[in-house]
Amino acid sequence: MLRVSSQSNEEDVNLASIVEGTARDSGIDADKALIEFAEAGLGDDGDAIDAARNTVAEQLGEDAMVDAAGVIANFQRMVRIADGTGIALDDAVMMLTADIREDLGINAYGGAENSTEVGTGKRIIGRLMTPFVSRLISRIAPR
Amino acid sequence: MNVVGSEAMAFDYTNGTAGIRGDIPAAHRDVWRMVAGPGNWWGGADRIAFAQESRNARSCEFCAERKAALSPLSITGQHNASTNLPDAAVDAVHRITTDPSRLTRDWLESTYDHGLSDARYVELLGVVVAVISIDAFHRAMGLPLEPLPAAQPGSPAGYRPAAAKDSGAWVPTVAPEDVAESEADLYGGMSRTGNVISAMSLVPDSVRMLTRLSGAHYLKVKNVANPAANGGRALSRPQIELIAGRVSSLSDCFY
Repeated sequence: MLRVSSQSNEEDVNLASIVEGTARDSGIDADKALIEFAEAGLGDDGDAIDAARNTVAEQLGEDAMVDAAGVIANFQRMVRIADGTGIALDDAVMMLTADIREDLGINAYGGAENSTEVGTGKRIIGRLMTPFVSRLISRIAPR
Repeated sequence: MNVVGSEAMAFDYTNGTAGIRGDIPAAHRDVWRMVAGPGNWWGGADRIAFAQESRNARSCEFCAERKAALSPLSITGQHNASTNLPDAAVDAVHRITTDPSRLTRDWLESTYDHGLSDARYVELLGVVVAVISIDAFHRAMGLPLEPLPAAQPGSPAGYRPAAAKDSGAWVPTVAPEDVAESEADLYGGMSRTGNVISAMSLVPDSVRMLTRLSGAHYLKVKNVANPAANGGRALSRPQIELIAGRVSSLSDCFY
């Protein structure tokens, strides 16, 4: 969704920042502060969390800081649902993300064995569709 | 076990905590109420015990040792449990909390001989992930954890959706096209949904808790599929997804 949302916003985003954190410039406003908050929010170091939260509030405001805390909380739930039930990545997403997953090393993550990798044909189709992916996702996603 | 008998003042964020949207404490209170009551397969006391064990797991030495091990099956030990739950349930809660990316179908099915079943596991999972996310919000905001609610009386309903079937996941799920009238609300009337939304549909209230929380923590279901929508948040959608992606990556989550 980061890729398609950035396409919708006409932003050029470096997806490697998801895997490599602040070592990469994502191209997204205040990315370093948000990534550091996400990283701290997964741990138990209260001082690190406080510092990261305050930085987000300083750069983006208190409302954004609360929204960021909500997203951090939300995805600590969602990853456990996915990993705890062995669901496969949705078919269309598998096709559209084949290259990204390979480039970023995501295929090595836990739970990858629950999904069947797409074949060469679907991989090519996914690659061709990439420039139109945000509109496509809007069409194939839940309505 | 640290519990509170009244929900009246639960999740009171008005005292020195600026900026927390009202829909967040409202969702937390709704979910706390659901957690405290009897479910389909467990009583309220069991469900509160799941919540307590999830909190225990964060300081469980055995969990830390297992997390560091090359294989989670390579070591044995005892969790720092403080409840009367069956051992298999304690282990499931601790694993979900501390080492979720190494859960396997074989492990899950092995628990079925020790007091769990597919539906009992899904209900346990639904409670645990709800509590984990509410606690995570508190940690991120620098707030103390909310005391667990008092268990409510009542017997489990024993309800299993007739439409639940094998969808390739480790547990049966209910597809959007198969939902019964009593579950018409489950996917917001949508004809499609992501696998992660239907994953816990063997216990419909687990999906309801998920969507209730996601609507406040992240985005309402109707906005998730629209990559241009940020649900009126103060963050742009790419900023939201950057956080989501980073949390997922650090959690070693493929989905």
